[in-house]
Amino acid sequence: MNTLYIEAKLKRDDFELNTKINLPAQGVTVILGPSGSGKTTLLRCLAGLEHPQQGIIKKDQSVWLDTRTKTFVPPQKRNVGVVFQDYALFEHMNVQANVGFGLDRLQAQSKVSEWLAKLKIDNLAHRYPHQLSGGQRQRVALARALITEPELLLLDEPFSALDTHLRQQLREQLFEVISYLKQPVLMVTHDLNEARYLADHIGVMINGVVQRLDSTAKIFDDPCSLEVARVLGWRNFLPVTSIQSHSIISAWGSIALEEEPSIDTDWLAIRPEHIRINSQQAGIEAELIRVIEMDGYRELQCRLQDGTAIYLQRPWNELTPLAGSRLQLELPEQHIRLLEEGRTNLTYQTEMEKSAEQKSKTLVAHKIHKQISQTA
Amino acid sequence: MTSATVSMDLMPVWISLQVSALTVVCLLIIGMPVAWWLAHTHSRLKIPIEAVTALPLVLPPTVLGFYLLLFLGPNGPAGQLWISLTGSPLAFSFSGLIIASCVYSLPFVVQPLQAAFETMDKRSIEAAWTLGASRFKTFHLIIIPQIRRGLLTAIVLGFAHTLGEFGVVLMVGGNIPGETQVISIAIYEMVEILDYESAHKLSVGLLLFSFVVLFLVYGVNRQWHRQRLA
Repeated sequence: MNTLYIEAKLKRDDFELNTKINLPAQGVTVILGPSGSGKTTLLRCLAGLEHPQQGIIKKDQSVWLDTRTKTFVPPQKRNVGVVFQDYALFEHMNVQANVGFGLDRLQAQSKVSEWLAKLKIDNLAHRYPHQLSGGQRQRVALARALITEPELLLLDEPFSALDTHLRQQLREQLFEVISYLKQPVLMVTHDLNEARYLADHIGVMINGVVQRLDSTAKIFDDPCSLEVARVLGWRNFLPVTSIQSHSIISAWGSIALEEEPSIDTDWLAIRPEHIRINSQQAGIEAELIRVIEMDGYRELQCRLQDGTAIYLQRPWNELTPLAGSRLQLELPEQHIRLLEEGRTNLTYQTEMEKSAEQKSKTLVAHKIHKQISQTA
Repeated sequence: MTSATVSMDLMPVWISLQVSALTVVCLLIIGMPVAWWLAHTHSRLKIPIEAVTALPLVLPPTVLGFYLLLFLGPNGPAGQLWISLTGSPLAFSFSGLIIASCVYSLPFVVQPLQAAFETMDKRSIEAAWTLGASRFKTFHLIIIPQIRRGLLTAIVLGFAHTLGEFGVVLMVGGNIPGETQVISIAIYEMVEILDYESAHKLSVGLLLFSFVVLFLVYGVNRQWHRQRLA
């Protein structure tokens, strides 16, 4: 079984990495997070370019790092392929020499030709990096990393060195290359669209901590906490003041739910495309502030009674109310997500601590629930 | 002119070339790690060490020579150690001359190397490591090509500066023909005894040599620079 386990604490003057993840054995995992959240540092720990003050990194049966036993496998011995942020090609070597750098001289020639052909850069073999476009440089970097048949491929913001109009096209090309790889791929980015396009799994990293790691579909469907939702591009957050058995009550109104909400709920979230405008039934009252034309849809900027901003999307070919109108909004229950406040300073715990805490937490929650329902 | 006098005339040239070449070799061995450290450290010691390595630039050679003489002399710490190891004194010897030259020319080698290390692309080194390259392979295939201009500058400046030194050599090396009498001192002595013809020969030779070397270096440097920009 192919697994990668990372547990790392690394403290610098202005920053702390403090995380623990189990990387999925296959496919593309994207670590998504704002700049400065420690994504690149995590990647560098994996490559052996950074030495955490405390931690364990295990790939399959081999231990790459264990600070308790002072084990540290240097980058040369890890067999990890890295595509650096601006590719870090060897500027004084041509494409062929760049790609063949990681090989012994004997096996180099035929294998280099093979990989140049695979990535469709065989016509560039004798060019130097400064003669290449951004997309070509990316392919050279990929070929150079993959030719050594690494056990793990790391990509650090692979599109940040490119112009915006090129990114879409190169995303497709990169997808073609990495989606067929047998080995796991770990990519870090701050770009939501890149993550959505390429990832099988997404881990959201905030302030040096991977807050959540799950399949792309699951994590986009239910982010669970406010800060994870923010990173994933959610925008509608309605504060929850109190929960009375099946109802959520707040300054903006109230909503009755069939399923009993958890007492940890601090926010109610919903995607703009799921909110309906309901003229017949009474819903949540809102005022339409502004209508913005977007690509293929209109965005309706509204304000609730308590001043909370809420965004709606309507198809471009549907009539929209005028700015200033009063609307009744309906939030369908199946699209409502209940979020906890983020735990920014969450630190990792060992598996044992975690399961113990989980048990006690559910127990307490259960008791409180009971008390509430009894008094109600 | 007999062949014996010719070889006596050219002896200072030979000694100068030997001193300069050996000094450059020693300085590269010492200077590389020092320059690397200075380029990458965040230590508080960086500024004092930088200042110390630059001292020979500003100190009068006589001051430097005076303290080197005390240090290398038979009563100085280095001189005593040398005597106990080899049995002969260090001051006014060829070896002493090399040590003094190394101190004197240190900034001319360290500073270009430090600048080259500072502007080098550090990630290409890390990329080489992740591709399995040993430190040695990384050094000669990735680092050396990137710092070649700085390296060439360091070698040439170190060599030329050592070739032209006078004050320190006079203080530490003395003026022993065939042992420590270098070109600049030989010329000085020839002028003192009014042998202008010999002084001319050596001076013109040194002038032409220096010009040709610098001309070639600037040419090569420009060529390399163009290659990078092309």
